Amino acid sequence: MSVVLFLSVLLIAACGLVYELIAGTLASYLLGDSVLQFSTIIGSYLFAMGIGSWLSRFLNRGLVARFVAIELMVGLVGGFSSAMLFLGFAYGHAFRFELYTVVIAIGILVGLEIPLLMRILKDRFQFRDLVSHVLTFDYLGALGASLLFPLILVPKLGLVRSAMLFGIVNAVVALWSTFLFSSQLVRTVSLRIASAAVLVALGCGMAFARYITVAAENNIYADEVIFARDTHYQRIVLTKWKDDIRLFLSSHLQFSSRDEYRYHEALVHPGLAAVPGARRVLVLGGGDGLAVREILKYPSVQSITLVDLDPEMTRLFSTHPLLTPLNGGSLKNPRVKVINADAFVWLQQDSGLFYDFAVVDFPDPTNYSLGKLYTTTFYRLLARHLTPHGLMAVQSTSPLFARQTYWCIVETLKQAGLEVHPYHAYVPAFGEWGFVLAGTEPYRPPTKLPPGLRFLTPRTLPELFEFPSDMTPVPAEPNRLNDQVLVRYYDQEWSVITH
Amino acid sequence: MKPDRRRFLGVALAGLWPKTDRPITGSFVNESDRAGHRLRSRGPFATPASRVRVPLVIVGAGMAGLSAAWRLDKRGFRQFVLLEMEKQAGGVSRWGENDITAFPWGAHYVPVPGPKSLLIRELLEDLGVLSNGKWDEYRLCFSPQERLYIHGRWQDGIEPNLGATRRDHDQYRRFEQRMREFRASGAFTIPLEREGRVPEGPLDRISMADWLRLEGFDSPYLAWYINYACRDDYGAASSVASAWAGIHYFAAREPDEKGPLVWPEGNGWIVRRLEKRLAGYLRTGSMVCRIVPEGARLRVVTETVEYLADCVIFAAPTFLAPYLIENAPPVSRFEYSPWLTANLVIERPPREAGIEQAWDNVVFDSPTLGYVVATHQSLRTYQERNVWTFYWALSDGPAARNRKLLLSTDWHYWKEAILDDLARAHRDIRQCVSRIDIMRLGHAMVRPTVGFLSSEERRRVAHLNGPLLFAHSDLSGFSIIEEAQYRGVTAADRALARLGGSR
Repeated sequence: MSVVLFLSVLLIAACGLVYELIAGTLASYLLGDSVLQFSTIIGSYLFAMGIGSWLSRFLNRGLVARFVAIELMVGLVGGFSSAMLFLGFAYGHAFRFELYTVVIAIGILVGLEIPLLMRILKDRFQFRDLVSHVLTFDYLGALGASLLFPLILVPKLGLVRSAMLFGIVNAVVALWSTFLFSSQLVRTVSLRIASAAVLVALGCGMAFARYITVAAENNIYADEVIFARDTHYQRIVLTKWKDDIRLFLSSHLQFSSRDEYRYHEALVHPGLAAVPGARRVLVLGGGDGLAVREILKYPSVQSITLVDLDPEMTRLFSTHPLLTPLNGGSLKNPRVKVINADAFVWLQQDSGLFYDFAVVDFPDPTNYSLGKLYTTTFYRLLARHLTPHGLMAVQSTSPLFARQTYWCIVETLKQAGLEVHPYHAYVPAFGEWGFVLAGTEPYRPPTKLPPGLRFLTPRTLPELFEFPSDMTPVPAEPNRLNDQVLVRYYDQEWSVITH
Repeated sequence: MKPDRRRFLGVALAGLWPKTDRPITGSFVNESDRAGHRLRSRGPFATPASRVRVPLVIVGAGMAGLSAAWRLDKRGFRQFVLLEMEKQAGGVSRWGENDITAFPWGAHYVPVPGPKSLLIRELLEDLGVLSNGKWDEYRLCFSPQERLYIHGRWQDGIEPNLGATRRDHDQYRRFEQRMREFRASGAFTIPLEREGRVPEGPLDRISMADWLRLEGFDSPYLAWYINYACRDDYGAASSVASAWAGIHYFAAREPDEKGPLVWPEGNGWIVRRLEKRLAGYLRTGSMVCRIVPEGARLRVVTETVEYLADCVIFAAPTFLAPYLIENAPPVSRFEYSPWLTANLVIERPPREAGIEQAWDNVVFDSPTLGYVVATHQSLRTYQERNVWTFYWALSDGPAARNRKLLLSTDWHYWKEAILDDLARAHRDIRQCVSRIDIMRLGHAMVRPTVGFLSSEERRRVAHLNGPLLFAHSDLSGFSIIEEAQYRGVTAADRALARLGGSR
């Protein structure tokens, strides 16, 4: 009998700690700054437990029934806590409020548990033994939970299901308390029915946890998701808030419709306007057709070849009624030819066609596979597809947030035997963003730009090539196929920002 | 920029996917042990229908035989044939191909040759891998080159880093320092006998493991790493390989460009090109049954043709000599390690976190050597289907016992052993693999056992100078392409000197 009693103490202690850890982990993950999140979560949780302990003095009658009810409440609130918080972050607008409300609610309930239980047990044991045993098992449970959480629960079950599993444990403790203390209970049946209901609810939660996480993931974008699809190569997500449409590829923001004109004007015009009479243009990446839209502003351009890996991406931006207005239907323009292929492989097989201008708009070099598209070998290969006066414009991450990454790309183009002309522009959705123009002939900024631009003017354009002191060159190795330093630079610099 | 969220949710979602193992097909391939047994039991053989006189016969079209032919052809000598028992030339550099990619069956890389390795540079220059002093960027192994699975995680590089203490790192540094000293001494070269040096002295009289102990190296991680190197290059544990050989692995190469040089089909890429160039001399499917002196000449008997040659370069594995050659020199000190290689068709990449798949992927404390990825040099950014080549030198325990185990067990036994080993690092491997083809080699490579390199027997066979010349990397004790090539080329030169004299 006493073993079972103290086992309950161990279990509810473990449950209590798991909810606290889940809240801390979730908050660090969703809000960043894990030190701040864990400190404030643990602090408010312990404080709430204190409130619970203090409140316990006001509970006088029907202690066992109250204990069972509290267990069921902890089970419900705690069990669904991480699902609620995930969805709350995705859909709600007051995530922090929600987070601390949940934490404090669980804390108060958990704070009530042990004092109540001790009072229930006070007649069965000597006080000295009772305190000693209850606290021993309390701390043992905490140890178990703190080990179980990172080693088994998070990797095997994930946060949503871990919380539910422990909710079930709370409900089971409630249910077996109705048997253990049946002599001290009046409305045993109704409490058992309530326990069963909570168990069923949490069981269903476990079974459908997958949908909850997927639903949450779809909405861990700040705005309403209007389109989401897993293609062979990436996850395409479109979000919309008022008139702002955002595109995410594998969770990386690609553009915001409010300021993408700054990005795409900066990507295309400093180069293309400097190649008078350019006729053939190549776009690598850029399946959204926004760079193509800018290129189509040049009447001299006769053909644009767009090479993007993902057919779903180019199909979407050719047909989706919300997206074609963004690129002005550029992908359907008769001057544009869309090819779905891996750019490196395609360039190697492309038979001797020369381009006056090339736009290189690949995803950031987050891994070695993408890093291949930022190597000396790649740029040398691409340069062989340019006419003698041709230029390429390369999207090159941020010279401010990832300074060495940026200058590594510049150095790589230089090592590929090209003249480089680094420049940058401010794009609110991204911050300071960097580009590099590269070619074989000397470059002079254009004095004339096509009409209808919203960002660039011939007078301000040369200013893009000036770098303030916090973005000036830093030493970097070139990125080579057999020694991809770029991926390491990128990883180091962005991990500082995102944590 | 929210990569972490996605990764995190990946973890949260893990365990929700349905798990069903794929049906796995496959078989043993390239089985030549029946022919080998016929050789060893001396028959029965068919009687050759014709007799041909030819100044020179090369027996065996592995890398040594191909190199001898390459040299002869380059020097303008064309009156020779190159006989190969198998249907395919290449020996342990053979290769295969399926609808995904070409892949190796054995040797799968060439370390970037230093400036002094003139012969291998000449070959690679011939094949266009080296031009104007620059290596072909598409052939230098792409990043990431190597990774090691240790303590439940993948780490960059094979030298154990996760879990290594400062003491371990101190020993790594001291070991590297010792290797630098050995390198500076100039005694360790590739080829082994470049500049006429021959290994001798105390280092060939103790094992690599003993040398480490004597030098006070007791880091278990360092010991694993050195043992891995010996198993990988020599198919022998560090307690079996001589210290001279173990040190040679680390001290013989000048540090040069980041490599190695790799191809989807491994060194089969070189074989294919040499084969094409030397097609006029090559006779595949020609098993030599006997080599008998006839006056000053040698009679080389196959099951279809009998060649009467002034000179024979025996470029087959050296241990075969007593079974084929009348009055062959003794070769009892030549020991071999049994190997197994397997090519696995991977239908989808295993789910994993951390460092991306590298070219060479090794699991710490595994009895096997890990796997290399055939499509590693692909320029694609995305690769769904793939081929992994899995290597296993059976180096734990006596070679004869392992050879017997290797040849007496069935395909299912090895399929399961391979999957179990891979499952240490890839828990879902059984859901990813659709086919496993396995090649067994009872005598895959010679072992530089204690005393072998400095043995009189090895030197005698290597430097024979008469109508019968030996050419094989076995003679150097190291199964590496540079040694095979050196043995082939120097035998070709000796043959030319001899034939020039008699013409």
